[in-house]
Amino acid sequence: MPLASSLTILVVDDQQTIRSLARMALEQWGVGTILEAADGEEALKAILTHKTPIHLIISDYNMPNLNGLSLLRAVRAHGPISKTAFIMLTGRADKQMVLSAVEHGVNNYLVKPFTPDSLREKIEAVIGALK
Amino acid sequence: MDPMAAIRETFFQECEEQLCELESGLMRMEGGETDQETVNAVFRAVHSIKGGAGAFGLEDLVRFAHVFETALDRVRSGKLEASANAMRLLLRASDALADQVRCARDGATPDEAQTTSLAAALKALTNGDATEQSDPAEDDGLGDLTFLPLPVPVEDETLQTGGWVIKFRPFADLYANANEAALLLREVSMLGPVRVTVDRSALPDFAELDPEGAYLAWTIALHAECDEQAIRSAFEFVEDDCELVISRASDQSDRLNLPQPDAEVAGGGTAETIPTPDPVTAANVTANSGMPSDADVLAMIRKAQQSVSSSDREQPGAIAGGAQNPSPPAVRSRQDAAPGTDGAPSKNDTGSAVGATIRVDLDRVDRLIDLVGELVINEAMLTQRVMEAGLARASGVAAALDELEHLTREIQDSVMAIRAQPVRSVFQRMPRLVREVAAMTGKQVRLLTDGEGTEVDKTVIERIADPLTHMIRNAIDHGLESTDARLAAGKPEEGVVRLTALHRSGRIVIEVADDGAGINRERVKAKAIEKGLVAPEAQLSDEETDNLIFLPGFSTASEVSDISGRGVGMDVVRRSVQSLGGRISIASRPGAGSTFTLSLPLTLAVLDGMVVSVAGHTLIVPLSAIIETLQPQAANVHTLGTDVRVVAMRGRYIPLVDVGMALGYSEVPLEADKSVALLVEGEGGIRAVLIVDAIQGQRQVVIKSLEANYRAVPGIAAATVMGDGRVALILDVDAIVSVTRTELIRGDALRAEPTLLQAS
Repeated sequence: MPLASSLTILVVDDQQTIRSLARMALEQWGVGTILEAADGEEALKAILTHKTPIHLIISDYNMPNLNGLSLLRAVRAHGPISKTAFIMLTGRADKQMVLSAVEHGVNNYLVKPFTPDSLREKIEAVIGALK
Repeated sequence: MDPMAAIRETFFQECEEQLCELESGLMRMEGGETDQETVNAVFRAVHSIKGGAGAFGLEDLVRFAHVFETALDRVRSGKLEASANAMRLLLRASDALADQVRCARDGATPDEAQTTSLAAALKALTNGDATEQSDPAEDDGLGDLTFLPLPVPVEDETLQTGGWVIKFRPFADLYANANEAALLLREVSMLGPVRVTVDRSALPDFAELDPEGAYLAWTIALHAECDEQAIRSAFEFVEDDCELVISRASDQSDRLNLPQPDAEVAGGGTAETIPTPDPVTAANVTANSGMPSDADVLAMIRKAQQSVSSSDREQPGAIAGGAQNPSPPAVRSRQDAAPGTDGAPSKNDTGSAVGATIRVDLDRVDRLIDLVGELVINEAMLTQRVMEAGLARASGVAAALDELEHLTREIQDSVMAIRAQPVRSVFQRMPRLVREVAAMTGKQVRLLTDGEGTEVDKTVIERIADPLTHMIRNAIDHGLESTDARLAAGKPEEGVVRLTALHRSGRIVIEVADDGAGINRERVKAKAIEKGLVAPEAQLSDEETDNLIFLPGFSTASEVSDISGRGVGMDVVRRSVQSLGGRISIASRPGAGSTFTLSLPLTLAVLDGMVVSVAGHTLIVPLSAIIETLQPQAANVHTLGTDVRVVAMRGRYIPLVDVGMALGYSEVPLEADKSVALLVEGEGGIRAVLIVDAIQGQRQVVIKSLEANYRAVPGIAAATVMGDGRVALILDVDAIVSVTRTELIRGDALRAEPTLLQAS
């Protein structure tokens, strides 16, 4: 039962629109720190450099530079951050993609366009009810 | 603004970027660049638009984007070949998508029929190889997937494998006894990787700060299996001078259920890690990372680490500084993205990266330009006053004035440069136009552009779009032959329209060239005679014949087409170009195509002019039109008929125009040998010799629109304010030159004109 205000969540998407939508919802629930990154590469750097642990990564799949799956693999392969919770955003019903994401240890997935409710549902399924 | 509306706005802005990327990507693909990266970027653009549109409930947009995306997905996966036909369709679809996005933004209704037919064509394309067509609302087929919603305990990874948590709060005595907290922390870090969080919540305002007080506390998460004694020994000498709590990390496995480190709670979330001499993350990575399944991923981590370790190196400064700026995360990640491996302070990187461009309200720039215009006038006035007062020779005033003039000029150039923009924004609209016109005429057209980076004043850019559109339509509709005719002429099926921009002698020149049949001069002349535009017996050069198409009421198209309009095309184009102070001409080679050349001033705000006197009035002749100035000899001036005079120059006879008479300032012709002559060239290379009373000098003048402040006056392009505060008119050289042919200027309206000058 994590306290929303103590959570650090990283939103990764190449669209500012999606990042803003996610941020708006997360802010509403009182999530303490919301970070944004525009692609996998930027995300990875943010994860490695952020001074406090990032608890949850919500990442788009299709992005330039480093896509969501590679980001997931990089996170899982890197000891200190390998246990970070990871929710993949997918734009279309791509079963193959979800399956390979599951194979690489994704904690849940969310089909775009998402609503605040569906986002919350997935987050809570991963890290427990937000307070 | 409510946050949702703001995000919606962001969405449409992003859509524009993505549409741009989509179009340029598709065009690259059309040009044969079908590499994975390009195809993927194109796919992603449509995909992103669809994703965002869904969030705002733009169902129509989602539906179309989905069909489009499906087609692109098939191209991406290699199931659909990027043939010329397919690419044409995809490009048309991108145009339609752009329309739909804009309609959605403005709340307009998109062209339903077009969308439906394109969607059907896209579906046909995708179904060509008999595969399923998915629907956006379709079940994702993952309902039966035994998905593991494995709840991850959210915890601090430095604590999860055991280790210690040390709370260390020094008292003032610790410092008084010459101990240094940072050294102690470093001592602890010798035991293993640490994560240090500072609590500076006790830090008072600077005014109340006791320089010898102790305000900071640290929480150290030590990631090492050592015994407590080892830790205590690090604090051996200070044990009595601090508060030290050492506990097993396993006691607090779920970090989130515990009170946060004090800093995060009390300090408003500005907890920081104190760097350790040994860059923890970097050191651990190579040891801890398992074998990544993919070399790219490994490379990625390395790359990311480089920036991590380089930013670690900078951090000793962070300790010394004490309080740090809690930089927003978005900025931080960008900062790290800047190449920083050379250890340069990353703050500077941020500064230069972020400060590269600024957005300024156009009104502000315009006001600045107006003010600089006034400055130029003022500077000229000052110079004139000083000269009149005879001060210049006596002192260093002349040198100072020169400097002032130089500076003024430089300021003006810099300000004009702010408004200069590449013509790219206009050129970018043309590919779509070409596709549309090509589709309408059933011709195959390739548009080649060059010189998109050529810069020109914003006001000019805004106003060349229309003429350019007309010219391109004309080039495709009238210039290019039909596919059959091309094949019969032994030309490639696909016609080429070339759009080029370049700078030439202080003007921007835009060329629209086609490789069509060229102008059918016989037909043009016959048409012109039929319409009574030229006398049947007139002897016209090829060039003159070609330029007949600019005459009002001329249309060579045997049937009126939707595309080029009702034959108002080229004369309207010419008029709008002329109103910009520009010229347009055509050169044509039978069978090989025609080239329209549009030449425009770089700016509509200032002009380099020759100041001349005509019958007591001061006029400005644009320098760009003047080829040379001369003193005509009476012997070289010949009179033809009653009042037409020509000057013999280098074996040619050039019409002579008495400016004073042309504008109605004087009734008596100026004697050629008592005047100064300016050899000028008007549009289409037509030359004339203007005679004026005297030349006053050369000057840069600020253009003030006559139309905006008074009304349009034939023969006069604009006005300006001179150094002495008087208004001077700027001559419309093209109109004056054409006087030699048609005498159209000498209207009654013009004769009443001098009053304007006296009014000042």
